[in-house]
Order: sequence, then structure tokens, then C-alpha cells
Amino acid sequence: MPERKLSRRQVIAAASILVLLVALLFVPKFRSEYELLNYTRFLILALMAQGWNLIGGYTGYAAFGNVAFFGIGAYTTGLLMISKWAVPFFPAMFCGAILAALVAVVIGLPVLRLKGHYFAIATLGVAEATREIADTWDSVTQGSTGIDLPVRSEGEFFYYSALALVVLGVIATALLVRSKLGYAWVAIREDQDAARMLGINTTPLKVLAFALSAVFAALAGGLTAYQNIHVTPGDFFKLEYTLQMIIATIIGGTGTIFGPVLGAGVYQLLSTYVWTKFIELHPTVLGLIIIFFIIFAPRGLMSLVSEGLKVVRGQKRFRWQGLLANVRAHRVT
Amino acid sequence: MVASGGNGTAEVLLEARQISKRFGGLAALQGIDLKIFRGEILGVIGPNGAGKTTFVNCISGLDKPTSGEILFKGVDITKMPSYAIGRLGLARTFQVVKPLKQLTVRDNVAVGAMFGAKGATRTTAQARAYAEEILERIGLQHRQGHKAAELTLPDLKRLELAKALAMNPELLFLDEVMAGLNQTEIERAMELIRGVNRSGITLFVIEHVMKAIMGISDRVVVLHFGKKIAEGNPQEVIEKPEVVEAYLGERFAKRVRGERKSP
Amino acid sequence: MSSAEFAQIAVNAILLSGILALVALGFSLVWGIMNIVNLAHGAFVVLGAYFTFYLNELAGVDPFVSIPLSMVTLFIIGFIVQRVLINQVVRAPLLATFLLTFGLEILIVNLVNYFFKADLRSVTTRYSGTGWTVGVVRVPYIRLAALGIALVLVALTAWFLRATRQGRAIRATGMDIDAARLTGVKVGTIYSLTYAIGAALAGAAGSLLSMIVPFDPNIGGPYTQRAFVISVLGGLGEVANVVLGALLYAFVDVFVGARLPELSQAFTFAALVILLVLRPEGIAGKKFYA
Repeated sequence: MPERKLSRRQVIAAASILVLLVALLFVPKFRSEYELLNYTRFLILALMAQGWNLIGGYTGYAAFGNVAFFGIGAYTTGLLMISKWAVPFFPAMFCGAILAALVAVVIGLPVLRLKGHYFAIATLGVAEATREIADTWDSVTQGSTGIDLPVRSEGEFFYYSALALVVLGVIATALLVRSKLGYAWVAIREDQDAARMLGINTTPLKVLAFALSAVFAALAGGLTAYQNIHVTPGDFFKLEYTLQMIIATIIGGTGTIFGPVLGAGVYQLLSTYVWTKFIELHPTVLGLIIIFFIIFAPRGLMSLVSEGLKVVRGQKRFRWQGLLANVRAHRVT
Repeated sequence: MVASGGNGTAEVLLEARQISKRFGGLAALQGIDLKIFRGEILGVIGPNGAGKTTFVNCISGLDKPTSGEILFKGVDITKMPSYAIGRLGLARTFQVVKPLKQLTVRDNVAVGAMFGAKGATRTTAQARAYAEEILERIGLQHRQGHKAAELTLPDLKRLELAKALAMNPELLFLDEVMAGLNQTEIERAMELIRGVNRSGITLFVIEHVMKAIMGISDRVVVLHFGKKIAEGNPQEVIEKPEVVEAYLGERFAKRVRGERKSP
Repeated sequence: MSSAEFAQIAVNAILLSGILALVALGFSLVWGIMNIVNLAHGAFVVLGAYFTFYLNELAGVDPFVSIPLSMVTLFIIGFIVQRVLINQVVRAPLLATFLLTFGLEILIVNLVNYFFKADLRSVTTRYSGTGWTVGVVRVPYIRLAALGIALVLVALTAWFLRATRQGRAIRATGMDIDAARLTGVKVGTIYSLTYAIGAALAGAAGSLLSMIVPFDPNIGGPYTQRAFVISVLGGLGEVANVVLGALLYAFVDVFVGARLPELSQAFTFAALVILLVLRPEGIAGKKFYA
């Protein structure tokens, strides 16, 4: 296969990404401050989802506690900014990311030895435990009252910061997954024993994936903290964030480079629409979205898009039954 | 062939001393002593549950023996993790195949080329190129762009072999790579295995297909209930009464002996 | 802690363990047989509690009388949920079933919140608050009765799994689904039955809880977590081990809760992670209700 030469498909893909990026650059010019907030939310969710994709999508570990790193990022950023050194925002946010990565290493070393359900529940518990610690450690976190950050109100600042981080995230993901590391992650996901026998030292590579996913979540947390001003354990350690990043990744496509961004966009669209129509039933709709995607499209929109392209190019005939392929493969009769 | 049974001058590539493995109350391996000489094809036979795969698991680091020690190229690998053993030049296939299902056939093999004995010297592009080379040798190049999940069982068995070869091993454990193959495929597989051996790789071959194992092995070891009951030249080994008994069952063995006595 | 306080805490732990065992049994049955960690389990507990509450409130049904009705209702709900939703992806990778049941939990809890409001509720009867006083220790009648009923239901489940045809089919399916199918077991139906029994046990536990502690729709999540921890402690093995796991958990929880109420989750999960890393198969170890 000639891989170095760019195919027509790759040119089209690159061009559409560029168009999308330019469009995103001009969003603040055409949208109200309130609408811009929703776009920023989408980007921050995309950032978290990109991080989750590394551990959950590529490495195959169903991490259910990434909100812990979001919270750690938020608190570190906030506490450094209001400390006697008055650290500026960006350095404070990066300190948060580094701290989150360190915590991920410490937690990951024991927890990543667990498999399947055990890992999922253990991470869920870790997130709950960090919330309790943030709630109890009054002398540092001021307990459930929370902390207040310096006010910065231009929406454009947050929008462009988030956009820059998401773009960096896409580039980082693309480079990582095409490196040996990416191959090792996927090998671990597909079969851990086989991966070990193939010469892959699984433990440090899994921990690395976990720590990198923590970095993404912590950056998102830092940005959200600065934007929201007020940081409390209840708001920044809530399970909903973990669910959002997972479901956004699944909607887009786990283990794909653009999936998390696409999924976050779709999620934010659904959420914005639903949020205004049925405020009280928001979780119900979230539940329905999860159920729908898990049953009918667990491989996400990226795979639907590539299947759709095959149909368009006439390589494959369209069949409604295709939508039930997942169910057919996994049901028990 | 370099070595034959009992040849004291040949180089010992791997030595297992008094390997035992217990699973709870079950003694899966009981004090196995075994030497593998560089360059040979060592065949291993034994009925189901004899401990063949357990033995390979213990040597390759997937499982740890309860007692005993293993030396590979003079290095004690008894407690070494399996990835380090793999990088040292010992590769294996799995009887129950373990493909990386969502990767293409080429990428499956490329992973072996990236992390095996010579992995550190290769870039990802070089590893993929080497993978294509291996696939050509194995006769699987026409499937290289397919996902491993789409392969048939004979192709999956070949993929196991390709992944292991891509690691540039000095010693390769083949765990029933011929199971489920038909007569022609077995002939091809035997030729393939001989070719691999000629390229300088020492082989430890577990196989149920008697004809194949007799045809390719320089030496044969027989395991039965976790014990080594015979070792040596293939023809001599399978005629030993304890081997016939282990394989065919006591009653059948007696009948065979009875038939031989009667004129 | 005085010895009187100590005795009271110990008694409370024992009284609580029955309901915990009931919750955990249904959860570990579904996990052990179907390999599904059912995060919607706590939501079924919530449904059971509300069922009993409203039967009492609107129709004046005695909460103890409502238990069988609650179990039948939850059995039907569980059967349908498994048939229509979970069965579609029951053999998909872990993340799918994990998220699917998570989605269900969010949905049920939110709907309960929406229709019944998030107020704290509790069932009160004329015998609420009555109890025995033995020396310095107080044993409320309702808690004692709840323990008794819970243990009877646990024993019935154990008997059902061991002695009936359907029960044996459930265990066989858990051990080897393909072998069970070959022997003529309708595994699809068995999965639905298993899930329905799990839901019914959760419903019974919810009904019992509604008489003992104030509740709101959000108690589901914590009960799912407790069921998980107990299942790990007891291993997915035998009914008796689940009861032991529940007793152990209840003691730890009550004692830790008495000293460090704010950090009980952190403590529980730290202990759980250590346990899992040291003994991934749980304390009891055996698998699959064999």
C-alpha cells in the first residue's frame, strides 16, 4: 500500500478539518456571549473526552474516576492563583496538570493491576474518595464552602484557550497513537497476555496512559475553575463529568483521533437543546442517549461515517439490518 | 542438525531444572528436568492434561513455577516478567490463539517486530516493513490489510507464528500450531517449521499430530500427568511401553502387546 | 466509646447486615451468572422503597404485607428490562453493559425524582418506634423483623438455586453457558429469570429499608456500591459467603461510620483496592454459585 503519498481521501479530510478549524476561530465574532459559553463547554468536554480516550479508548481500561483529576486540576489552579504567590493562570493550570499526573501514577500503580469490573469500580471509588477528601480538608480546600478565584469575565479568553488545548490534544493524540506507544496501548487493550508475550512492558505504559488522561482532565478542570470562579467539591467532583467524557467518546468513537471531539460536539448539541426544553428531565435524556448509543452504535459516529462513505462510494450496499449488527453479535437467545 | 539426544558437546540454549507447578491441590508439573540444545527441533507429546501448555506458560513467564529454576542462554529467567523474557529472545505461540483483533494482520505482526528482541532498533515504519517480509515468508501477505478478527482458524494459527517470528527469537515455542488443519495444510506447516529451523531458530514444538511431530523432531520428550516419562530419538521413544500406555490407555496397550505376542 | 455504646453499635451492625445481604445477593447473583455488574441495582432498591411507601400512604397497606407485592412488581420490571435492553448487549465488552446499566440507573432515579420529588420520606406505622430493651441495648421490633425476613429470603434463594430445576439451570448457565445450552437450557430465559430475581431481591430490600431509614431517590447509588463491596468480600461464590461478606461490611461500616463519618467512602474504597490487589478473587474465592 502506498502510504507516504497523500490519497484524495486524505486531502479531502485535511481540507475539511482546516475549514472546521477556521470556522471555530471565528465563532466568537458571530455568537453572543451566552452562546459562546456553550461552545466553550463543548471544547472543554472535548478535552476531557480526549483524555479519557487514551485510557478508555486506546488502552481499553474502563476508567470511571477521571473526574478526580478534573477536580484536582481545578483546585490546584485555584489555590495557586489565590495563594500568597498569586501564580498567574496558565502556570497554575499546568501545575494542576502535573499534580494530577502524579496522583494518577500513585493511584494507577495499584489500581491498574485490577481487571475489568474491578478496575472500573475501584476508579469510581477513588473519585468518590477524592471528593470526600476535598470536602473534609478544611485547612486547604475550605471544605464544602469552596474557594473563589480572581474574576475574569471575557468569554473569548476561555473559548480560545479551550480551542488551543483541544487542537493540541488532537495533535498529541495523533502523534502518540502512531508511535510505538500507541501500538502497545492497543495491544494491551486487545489482549494483555499476548501483549506481554510480544515484549511489551505493560505496567508503565498503562500508567502512562492513565497519567496522560489525567493531564487532559486537569487542564479542563483548571479552565473550568477559572471560568466558574467558585470551586466546590460538590461541583467539581461530580460523577456526571466522568459520564459525560465517556459518553462523548463513545458517541464519537472510542480509539479514534477525532471521535472524542465529534462526540463532545454532538453531546453538547443534544444537551443544550434538552437543557432548555426539559430541565428537570436532563438526566433521563442523558440516560436515554447512553442506552441508545450502547445498543445501536457502540462504535460511535466515526464508524457510522466510515461505513456511510463505503455506501456512498458503492463499495457496500446499504442495509437497515446493519444497525442491528451490534445487537446480533452480543445478544443471548 | 546440531544436536541429538545426549550429545554433551552441543550448546544448551535453555535448561529447566526440577520445574514443579501446583494449582491448589493439583500438581500440574512434577519436577521436570529438560535441556533444549541450540539449533534443534524438540518435539513434545503427551495426552491432554499432561502439562505441556503449563510447562510453556512457566518457561515463558506467563505463569511462575511453584519450584525449580529456568536458565535461558545462561541467564536465570525463573522470576523474570514475560516481556523481558520475550526481549531476551524467547517467543511463543498460543494454543488458544490470541490475535489483536481490531488491528490489521500487518500491525499484529508489526507489534512483535517493535517490541521483540530487535524491537528497540526499529522505527514503526521499519517494523511494518519487516512485518510484511515475515507475512510473505509465512504465506499470509494476501491478508495483511484485513483485521485479525476476520481471519479463519488456519490463518489465525499462521498469524500466531508470524507474530512470534517478528520478535526475532532464538528459541520459539510452538503450542499446537497444526491443530485443526487438514492434511495438505499440515504438510505445508511442517515445511514452514523446517524452514524456520533452518533459518537458525531453535524450536520447541508441542503437537498432537503424531505424524507431524515424528517427521520434524530431532528429539522427542513425552509428558504424562506432569512428569517426563521418556526422552530421546523419536522412533525409540514412541515404542517404549510406558509411552504407548500413556497415549493409548492401559487396556489398549495390553491388547497391542497381546496381538504382538500372538503369531 | 463506652461499652454500652459499643454493644449498641454491634447490635446495629447485625441488624443492618440482613438487608445488606439481601441487596448484595441479588447483585452478586447477576454478576456471577451473567457477568454483569448491574449498576441499576440500587435503583431497584429505590423503586421497592417507593412502592411500599405509596401503598402505605395511599391504600393503607401494611409495609410488611407490601413486601411480596413489591417483589412481584420488581420481578416483572427486572424481567422486562433484561429482555428488552440488557439482553441486546449482554455479551458485549464490559464497558457496554457497565454504561448501559449506569444509563438505566440515571434514568430511573431521575424519573423517581421527577414524579415523587426528592423529599426525604419514611414509612411510619403504629408499631414504629416500639422495641425491646435488653440491658443497655435497644432492639427496635421493625429492625429485628427486617433482619428475620431478609434472612428468610436469602435462605429461600439459596434453596431455590440448589434444589429446583430452574435454580440448577441458573447455576449451570453461570458455569458454562454453551454447555448449558447444549443440555437444553433456554439460556435467554434463564438470564431474564436471574436478572428478575436480582431485581426482586433488591425490591424486597427497598421495602424493608423504607420502614427503617428515611430515604430519597438518591440512596440507590450508595447501595449499589455497598453491594459491590460485599460481593467482592464474599466472592461470587456461595449464598452463605454473601451473608458473611455483608456482616463483615456492616461491622466495618458501622465502626468507621461512628468515628470518621466524612471519610467512610475513602476508607471503604482504600480497603477495597488493597483487598482486590492482594486477592483479586475476593476473600472466599470460589466462583459461580457452583
